[in-house]
Amino acid sequence: MTSNTGTSTNFTFACKLSELKPNVPLSIEVNDRFVVLAMLDGTVFCIEDICTHDGGTLGDGELIGNCLVCPRHGAKFDLRTGDAMCMPATEGTLSHEVEIRGEEVFVQLKDN
Amino acid sequence: MSTTMARSETVAFDQAGFNGFLDRRIDPVWVTQARKDAWTAFETLGWPNPRDENWLRSDLRGFKLSKYSPTNETESQSIATAPVRLNVGVELAGAIRSENGLVTSETLDPAYAAKGVVFGSLSRCVRDHAELVKKHLHAQIDINSDRFAALQAAMWTDGYFLYVPKNVVIDKPLHIHAAMGDGSADLSHTLVVLDEGAEATVLYESSSATPAAAGFHCGGLELVVGARANLRYVGLQDWGSNTWHFAHKRASVGQDANIQWTIAAVGSKFAQVDQRVALIGKGANSHVNGVLFTRDRQHLTYNTIQRHSATHCTSDFLYKAVLQDRSRTVWRGMIKVDEGADKTDGYQRNDNLLLSDNARADSIPGLEIKADDVRCTHGSTSGRVDEELIFYARSRGFTRQEAIRMIVTGFFQQIFDRITIDSVREALGAAIARQVRQYD
Repeated sequence: MTSNTGTSTNFTFACKLSELKPNVPLSIEVNDRFVVLAMLDGTVFCIEDICTHDGGTLGDGELIGNCLVCPRHGAKFDLRTGDAMCMPATEGTLSHEVEIRGEEVFVQLKDN
Repeated sequence: MSTTMARSETVAFDQAGFNGFLDRRIDPVWVTQARKDAWTAFETLGWPNPRDENWLRSDLRGFKLSKYSPTNETESQSIATAPVRLNVGVELAGAIRSENGLVTSETLDPAYAAKGVVFGSLSRCVRDHAELVKKHLHAQIDINSDRFAALQAAMWTDGYFLYVPKNVVIDKPLHIHAAMGDGSADLSHTLVVLDEGAEATVLYESSSATPAAAGFHCGGLELVVGARANLRYVGLQDWGSNTWHFAHKRASVGQDANIQWTIAAVGSKFAQVDQRVALIGKGANSHVNGVLFTRDRQHLTYNTIQRHSATHCTSDFLYKAVLQDRSRTVWRGMIKVDEGADKTDGYQRNDNLLLSDNARADSIPGLEIKADDVRCTHGSTSGRVDEELIFYARSRGFTRQEAIRMIVTGFFQQIFDRITIDSVREALGAAIARQVRQYD
């Protein structure tokens, strides 16, 4: 695995690495917020579980390539960066840093 | 079977918890039966569907009912730190205080009691004044509308009842304060009934023991305004910043009657409020003001319906929201005009002022008109603070925070001008001023 490993502080446990299946998004609650995790080519990425178009959730969306597709209106977000890739979303969603510590996934939640 | 439960014992909102709740209650048979019917509805209904238009923009995944327990009537409550604001400097006709949804004190000026006014604990009034309560309790709220309505109808712990007889005028406000402890639940219900020609002013406010308190409020409010009656109702919601707030609020307004209803919301982590005003008598008039001020990651949703069912009625809804940080408001308003409700004059407006790039306001006004001769208008605006105004204020010696506070106050002024009670204007102004962050 070419993963983003480390031991920085301010990271919060998110899930076991074994819970992540390649190319299958996982929506989970971390510190009272919902995020989407996904493993792409062996690297784990995390974005806020909010579609910036309608403010709804992305967790049920389909993963196409590196993009998570909003299940309601089809907006696409790059899981690696949070960037909005097509209309109707015009702004990216938050992207959070991920650390793998052994068999556990930790995330550092951004506020802005 | 032991009926005394230690606080540490886990009691949940489940069948066992409901059975224990019924065992502790001293309710008339008709109330118990209504509770059982509502509990059946609660068990039958699923959690709100996120595809449902009313819940589409509300993320309930973080809400865990299992984190909360029904308030135990056999335990004493003591929440001295919850702030009270609306009664400062006001001469009151009566007051009720509740803690975790249980009434702990109630007073009413004997002069009004002598005129037949009833003001006190709903639990007591369903026993002592069943003839006044039975007809109206949960008459306006459909217990099948969602799971929260059903739960509240099944397990309302206590609440507040006001009855004002025909042509009796209460010329001083009545005050209600609902206090909630950290991590507690409040399932109280408010029922206000004004008979023909009656008049009253009710100031209701809710607050938590600490600013960051967690909690679960699942409330109901029913206002019944009889023919030619006048009701002024003010509600200030200031729950702790980790509180989940769900409420169904209803009003029915009779012939030539008036309601002036002000809702202010500054607290809670998440709020989902379903507010409806039904104009059921010819010439009924409703004036609804909404003030929302949010911060952090607060999410407040207000679904409002102003329903015209009779001719010559007027309704005027004005909601204004100021948003900071990553907070979000959703306002979805609907004017419904029934067939035959001619000469209707309906108005609704929602204005949003965003103080941050990351705040979000969804505004969805709507009209559903089945009559021919009506005037219905609606509008909505959303925008950022004008930097030129801030620059001007700073050039006159004000800090950025002072400038923003002035702009926010000015934004709400249109609503303050519609509030005729000084203490309410001052309390809302102070609550808003406290919310304004220090900006760079």
